Amino acid sequence: MECRETMNSLSDYLDGDLWMTDDELQAIEDHLVACPACQSVKQELTELKAAARELPVHTPPRAMWARIVNAIEADVPAAERPTREELPPLRWWERLLERKFTFSLPQLAGASALTVALVLFGIFGVSRLNPGAINISGVQTALLPDEDEIKAGLERKLAAINARKANWDAQARADFDQQLTKIEESLTHCRALLQENPNDKVHQQMVRNLYQEKRQLLEDVERLKW
Amino acid sequence: MRIVLKPLLSFLRMTSLLSLGWLTLIVASPMAFAQNFSKSFTVAPDASQLEVINQTGSIKITAVSGSANKIIVNARQSNGDPKINATQTAQGVVKVEVTGKGAVDFDITVPLATNLDLLSYKGMIVVSNVSGPVRARITTQGNIIFNGLRSPIVEANSAHGDVTFSGDILPSGTYTFKSFSGRVDATLPANADFKLLATSYRSKLELGGFPVKFDKKTDQLVEGQCGQGRANLNLWTQDGSINLHRKL
Repeated sequence: MECRETMNSLSDYLDGDLWMTDDELQAIEDHLVACPACQSVKQELTELKAAARELPVHTPPRAMWARIVNAIEADVPAAERPTREELPPLRWWERLLERKFTFSLPQLAGASALTVALVLFGIFGVSRLNPGAINISGVQTALLPDEDEIKAGLERKLAAINARKANWDAQARADFDQQLTKIEESLTHCRALLQENPNDKVHQQMVRNLYQEKRQLLEDVERLKW
Repeated sequence: MRIVLKPLLSFLRMTSLLSLGWLTLIVASPMAFAQNFSKSFTVAPDASQLEVINQTGSIKITAVSGSANKIIVNARQSNGDPKINATQTAQGVVKVEVTGKGAVDFDITVPLATNLDLLSYKGMIVVSNVSGPVRARITTQGNIIFNGLRSPIVEANSAHGDVTFSGDILPSGTYTFKSFSGRVDATLPANADFKLLATSYRSKLELGGFPVKFDKKTDQLVEGQCGQGRANLNLWTQDGSINLHRKL
């Protein structure tokens, strides 16, 4: 070990730092035996620590804290300042929030791992219980096993159409938008019914018919050249 | 008295002449601006194929009996500046397409067994006497009417219009009639043999007294078969109604 490293670790060594390994302690002690310069620094530090221990402990007077509080409250008009008695009694969660909690690193790591585990269980566990009913990536829950695929295909088509819709005749554009809106409204309505009873074959068929109708509309305008 | 009548008579005469002039102008102007289009294609009578894509206006297709080997396209352009492209591919498919803005009315004659693929954004489609597969679609508004069809496959879909079918349904044929908000009417032979799937969201399904054996029957969906269930009949409307009729 060199002098610089020994100097850096000397304070920890004298404090009896628990994080130091046996090898590190041994290396410092070996260096101190062989290096009179570091030995004298160690001596000075030891005397300094002993002298500091002899100094009286100064606790700030209670009046100091009162002065600080007064200085803060002086910024708020007195009329707006309720007294403790005027305030409504705190509810249990408010009392809980008022408390200060401190956590160690292992505690925080454990809590994070537990949170991640619960979220993953929520997503995968529920989706396994009810196959096809959860759309992890999407905002809307899929009600048909292939609904996400159907919607993705339609979105791609619609994006391509929207890109060239500006060139259309105004009336044609209005007719298209109107028809698309009607289909979307019916879809929303039928999906809501299906959501109430996901195994209802009639509503499943209706939702499918509406998706087909939407696809047909988009394919039509892909073929037309304005 | 004569002095009062004379200016009145001349005023009436002038008014009549002006009205006649306006009437002539109103009647004659569309004729003067309308442009006609006509083109004929030679096709194989048993394997002819026609595709029509129209923007606005009607498409009328009539199959002529006998051994006709021509598809004759007649069109009348009534407003705007649409362009009609009518071509024949190397495989013999006749393609008629309207580009640009404006209305075109088509009147096309085809051989009986012609395979038809018809699309109109807005306007009526009428198909008569064809025995080849037919696909007709109206994107927004317009009725689809089939008369005297003997086709193995018929698919019709109008967003806001009625779909009316009258003809035979062949064993192992597939017939799909859809309308988002219009009526779906199918008139079939009394002894028609078909498997049925009919869905109507808003109104009750009228099956015209066909002896359908139901696999499933609710107010909104009917699934079942009539006879041996040889042909497939699929009917759908969201906001309209479905009506089957027996041809007597």
